Formats: sequence, structure tokens, C-alpha cells
Amino acid sequence: MNQLSLLAFEFPPINMLLRWQDVLPTVNKVVLIGFASALIGMGIFLAAARKDPKKAPKGARNLAEVIIDFIEKQIIMQTMGPSGLAWTPFLLSIFIFIYLSNVPGVIPIIQMPATARMGIPAFMALMVWVVYNATGIKHQGPLGYFKSVLFPPGVPKALYILVTPIELISTFIVRPFSLAVRLFANMLAGHLLLVIFALLSEALFQARDRILIPVGVLPFAVLLFLTGFEVLVAFLQAYIFTTLTAVYINMASHAEH
Amino acid sequence: MLLSTILLAAEDMGPNPIAPEGKELFWGAGTFLVFLFVMRVFLVPKVRKGMEARYGMIRDGHESAQATRSAAQSDVAAYEAAIAEVRAEAAGRVEKARQTLDSERQAKVAEANARIAAKRADADKSLETARTAARGEVAAAVGNVTSRAAQLVLGKSPDAAVVKRAVDATMSGGHS
Repeated sequence: MNQLSLLAFEFPPINMLLRWQDVLPTVNKVVLIGFASALIGMGIFLAAARKDPKKAPKGARNLAEVIIDFIEKQIIMQTMGPSGLAWTPFLLSIFIFIYLSNVPGVIPIIQMPATARMGIPAFMALMVWVVYNATGIKHQGPLGYFKSVLFPPGVPKALYILVTPIELISTFIVRPFSLAVRLFANMLAGHLLLVIFALLSEALFQARDRILIPVGVLPFAVLLFLTGFEVLVAFLQAYIFTTLTAVYINMASHAEH
Repeated sequence: MLLSTILLAAEDMGPNPIAPEGKELFWGAGTFLVFLFVMRVFLVPKVRKGMEARYGMIRDGHESAQATRSAAQSDVAAYEAAIAEVRAEAAGRVEKARQTLDSERQAKVAEANARIAAKRADADKSLETARTAARGEVAAAVGNVTSRAAQLVLGKSPDAAVVKRAVDATMSGGHS
């Protein structure tokens, strides 16, 4: 394996950090995190559903209701309005699944966000692409949808030469690509930063030259800060992905006037 | 030469770390779709239904509280109206009593004044009578004295009528 070496610090090959051995046939750590995300999400809602709804919510029920309220009030009502409330289960599932796939990046021992691999973000973006295009076709008809996307009203006809190719690329290629890459790249970058600072701290704490040992406190402090920051990023990326999904579905549902 | 070096280097680095891995894509898709199905069909509607039931219960409680409050407010208004009516009635009675007392007082005062005026008139009359009598006696005495004095001076008795006129004129003039 190739290793990047800088003085005594050795950085392992990137594939060693991202590619995991299968623990079962075709099932590796990333797949297991995906399973765990779905199971935890279902577990919370199952526990919530089994509690008496007439009592004041607490524990799992409170958590589930807070998440539903957050999705409805902070995402759907802000981007789609009341007509978008039917999308709550879909957007809720996206948010929970992505968040629970992101968070293991800062959980000790696991320390790997499932979304730092392209598989899950690519599928999620592709699914959102299919959903918003299908919604557009359902609400406006195939001709009406493609017309409203490719020939936005209010634009001088001469500009369609420029606007139509831009809209075509933007709506059908860039949107899913940017959705997937934004999530994947942010989580991958965060994961690599944590690895770099963890290895740097370790290298300095174990340095032969004793004068370097106290210096290890600096990268360790940055590591702690970045760990806290990654908790925020895990939430933020799930929020951004879900919000953009809501925006795309809403734009596809309503023809521009 | 250069191309083969790059290809070799790429081969050494292993598979592209950015490219999606088939098994992760497949399992991720399967896991999410199962998760979405369970959430969409069973769990979210059940939790949502519970939330709606509780919100409905809270809404009903609010409405019931509002109705109770409205009823209490109308009771308070009726009570205040009854109090105002009783107060108005009491004020009317007090005013009526006051008017009755006032008229009775005025009547008694008038009666007393009339009695006083009658007594005063009687007193004035008695006084006038006494004064007239005294005046007559004084005039008679003065007439006698005048007649006697004139008789002593003139040697004959003056006419009684003249003396009386002179005494009356003198007393009237002196009085006035």
C-alpha cells in the first residue's frame, strides 16, 4: 500500500479509510450502518406508536413528534406550504435516514459516516430525481412539465437559445449530481479531517523526540472541535438534502406563471 | 511512457474512492426503500393519528374551557345587571323617601311659620291697642295739664277742642 509520509507522520491510503471488508457476503460496515439507520429510525417510531398518544409525549414519542413537527414546520411549510404536508412521511424518512447515516462519523469505535461513500447519496439523489420529475409529469402532464422546465415563461423568446440548454442541464443533470456530491463530499471531507487530526495527534503524542509530545495537544484540540463541528454538519447536510428535495418537488408540482 | 506510469500509479492506488460501490448502492437503496415503506404505510400515520387525537382533545378542552368562561362571563353579567337593578330600585326608594321627608318638612315649616305669623300679628295687634290706649291717656293727661296751665296763665279755661287739636298736632309732630 502506498502511504503518504511527512517527517514521521504517515497517512494511510484513502481506500484503507473508506473501503471496508465484508463482514457478511456483500455486507460491509457502510451497509451495516445503513441497516442500523433504518432500524433505529423504525425503532424510534415503533416505540412512539406504541405509547398512549393521549398522554403528554415523552421519550421516544416526544422525539418522534419533535422530528415530525420539525419536518412539517421548518421544511415543508417553509418551502411547499400546506399542500406539501402529504409529503411528510417521504421527507421525514429521507431526513432520518441521512441523519442517522451521517452521525456514526462522530461515534467512537464506529467513526464512519455511511454517506462518506457515494452509494447511499447517489441512490438518494437518483430517487429524488425520479420523484420530482414524476411529480411534475403527474401534475402538469409530460408536455406541460417539460415545457415549463425548458421554456420558463416570462423569458424573451430569443433567450431560449441560451436558457433552454441551461435549464435542461440544470434540472435533469446538475440537480441530482449536486445533491449527491454535496452530501457525499461534505461527509467525506469531514471524515478525512477527523482522520488526519487523529493520526497527527497520535503521531505527536508518540513521537520519539519528547519535545514534540506537548505539541500534540494542538491537533487534539482541533480534533475535538472538528468532532463537535461534524455533529452539526451531520444535521445540516440531512436538513439541506431534505429541504432541497422539498423545493424540487414543489417546483415540479406547480407550473411557473 | 507517461501514460503507462499514470495508469500504473492509478492501479497502485486501488479502486476509485469516489465511485459508488455496487453493493453499497444496492443495500442502501433496499434499506431505504424498506424504511420508507414501513414509515409511509405504518409508523408515521400511526404517530400522526395519535398526535391529531391529542391535538383534538386539547382543542376540545380549549373549546370547553372557552364555553365555561363564556357561561361564567354571562353569569357575571347577569349578576351585575341584577345588582344594578337592585341598586337603582334602592336609589329610587331612597329618593322617594327623601322627597316625602322634604315635603313633610316643608309643610311643617310652613305650618310653624303660619303659627308664628299669626302669633306675631296678634302681638302686633295687642301692641297697637296698648299703644293707642297709652297715647290716648297721654294725650288726655297732656290736654289736662295744658288746659290747667292755660287757665293759670290766662285766667280762663281754654276750649277743650282747641287744646285737644293742639295736643294731637304736637304729639303727631313730635312723634313724626
